[in-house]
Amino acid sequence: MRGAPVPSERVIPATARFIKPLSAVVVLLVLLVAPWFFTPYPLHIVIMTLLFAAAGSAWNIVGGYAGQLSLGHAAFFGIGAYTTTLLQIHLKLSPWIGMWAGAILAVVAAVLIGWATLRLQGPYFAIATIAFAEVLRLMTLHLRDFTGGAVGLTVPYLGNRPWYFQFEQKVYYYYVILTLLLLIVAVVRRMASSRLGYYLIAIGQNEIVAEAVGVPAVATKIKALTLSAFLTALCGTFYAQYIYFIDPFSVLSLGLSIEFALVAIVGGVRTVWGPVLGAALLRPLTELTQAALGATYAGVQLIVYGSLLILVILLRPEGLIGPVSRIYTRMMRRLEV
Amino acid sequence: MRPEILLQALVNGILMGGVYSLVSIGLTLIFGVVRIVNFAHGEFLMVGMYITYWLWALTRMDPIVTALVSMPILAVMGYFFYRALVRRVLGAPDLSQIFLTVGVSLVLQNFALLIFTANYRSVTVAYATQAFRVGPVSFSVARLIAFAVAVFLSLLVGLFLGRTDIGRAMRAVAQDRDAAMLLGIDPHRVYALAVALGAALAGAGGSVIMPYFYVFPTVGASFVLIAFVVVIMGGLGNVTGAFLGGIIMGIAESLGILFVGADAGVIVAFIILILVLVLRPQGLLAVRRG
Repeated sequence: MRGAPVPSERVIPATARFIKPLSAVVVLLVLLVAPWFFTPYPLHIVIMTLLFAAAGSAWNIVGGYAGQLSLGHAAFFGIGAYTTTLLQIHLKLSPWIGMWAGAILAVVAAVLIGWATLRLQGPYFAIATIAFAEVLRLMTLHLRDFTGGAVGLTVPYLGNRPWYFQFEQKVYYYYVILTLLLLIVAVVRRMASSRLGYYLIAIGQNEIVAEAVGVPAVATKIKALTLSAFLTALCGTFYAQYIYFIDPFSVLSLGLSIEFALVAIVGGVRTVWGPVLGAALLRPLTELTQAALGATYAGVQLIVYGSLLILVILLRPEGLIGPVSRIYTRMMRRLEV
Repeated sequence: MRPEILLQALVNGILMGGVYSLVSIGLTLIFGVVRIVNFAHGEFLMVGMYITYWLWALTRMDPIVTALVSMPILAVMGYFFYRALVRRVLGAPDLSQIFLTVGVSLVLQNFALLIFTANYRSVTVAYATQAFRVGPVSFSVARLIAFAVAVFLSLLVGLFLGRTDIGRAMRAVAQDRDAAMLLGIDPHRVYALAVALGAALAGAGGSVIMPYFYVFPTVGASFVLIAFVVVIMGGLGNVTGAFLGGIIMGIAESLGILFVGADAGVIVAFIILILVLVLRPQGLLAVRRG
């Protein structure tokens, strides 16, 4: 596990014992208060960054820790988005409840895909996940009467109705996505130092050896995939409720799946904070290039993404979190002395 | 349903399947020899299609003839793709290998979008709408030519791998790289050649389908998905398997369109993929490689 912050074995002096919790409290306070000082557009960028950090972290569970490279996570995102929205439109069900239905559906899909493909090693999983997301996208396009087809679905606007996941002010969406991100990061953190996490890392490094020492590889991989799908679907729900509009292109495309992976890879797979860093670097870039170039130069941003992906893989395959976490540890150490 | 309709669908499927075979052989060759899944393979096809389109638009060169231009260009592209990028991730984890080619695919796709826009473009040739009948079945001339060229090129690849020294060297490297090296084969040369050849075949595929297909920047995506399934169906790295798989895929897709509706291709491909992975992941021909 290169690049991950290594817990130090040294005895921490009594005065320094408060520094970590204290700085955590300070950071949390800043996170809670800061959005009130943002104008809507920068706040939008922050919200999208947090969303992609969350989705990238969810991808990291299966793509990073388990080393099973999904190129179809948009499927789970889309399942979350469509399930919630359809339940709200047809049954007037609050998205706060609908989101769990979406997440459970995503888990069912993940179990089926996982069962069919994760027994095998090699590129099968990556290919099957692309195919699965493509099929879902095409079916959504075709089942026009139910899903709105290419026209998409608009979330019914109800005004300021917190019980229906609708807020007049962006800042509340910020709190929702921040909570979701912190939840996912907490899950990943906990998992990383749990039996599941160690199993996954063993499998990710060498599956045959892992199985030889008694790791139930297939079951563990499926478990990781379902957890990841569940969390990704929650992100999809958030997207639908925040943007108020979904269509197959925006929530089920291969480009979206790649972006989730990209966020994790650029930041650093198999690390807790890598995807968060990746999103913080990439998402503002996306939003700003989109704003600057608009539709005239559609594609420029993806050329940049593709080149970045190639560069990171060739030059720093462990992601960019390494130097950042080194600076962090050094800073912490200096504070402790 | 009248049997003629079924027969017609079967013929259409086989004709399309020939092209799938050609594209898939390129993909399986690259995998078999270099052990890299080329996620940019569809974009090689797309580049071949654009080359054909522009040669036709600017000089009215016949799309089939343009294969003679698109193949060498794609071969050179493939060669540099190997030398500059693929070579550097040979021993790297799956993540590096897969996402490197995904990155290349993103760049090529969006570069095409930038310079050619998202417009659908097609060529018009005299024989595009011609067909002749044999009994109850009609054969589209354009599809028949595409099929014939695809099968011809596939056979050439088979001969090349079986009868020439460099082809045999390629198979040797595919079977056992270290042993091949001991016999004095330079694996990097063989790898570069395999990627160049695979890319050239995708380019040829792009050229021969232009008389009855249209090109747009993301056209490769659905083709590559079908090619992946064909390659898995035939057994990863198995050239004969990819050829048969392509034909089967063409037939299955054609029947899918008949019974389910247009755009059934990817859905049929997905069903086949899941069936193959569950029942016979080693591929239909079950040739296990060393």
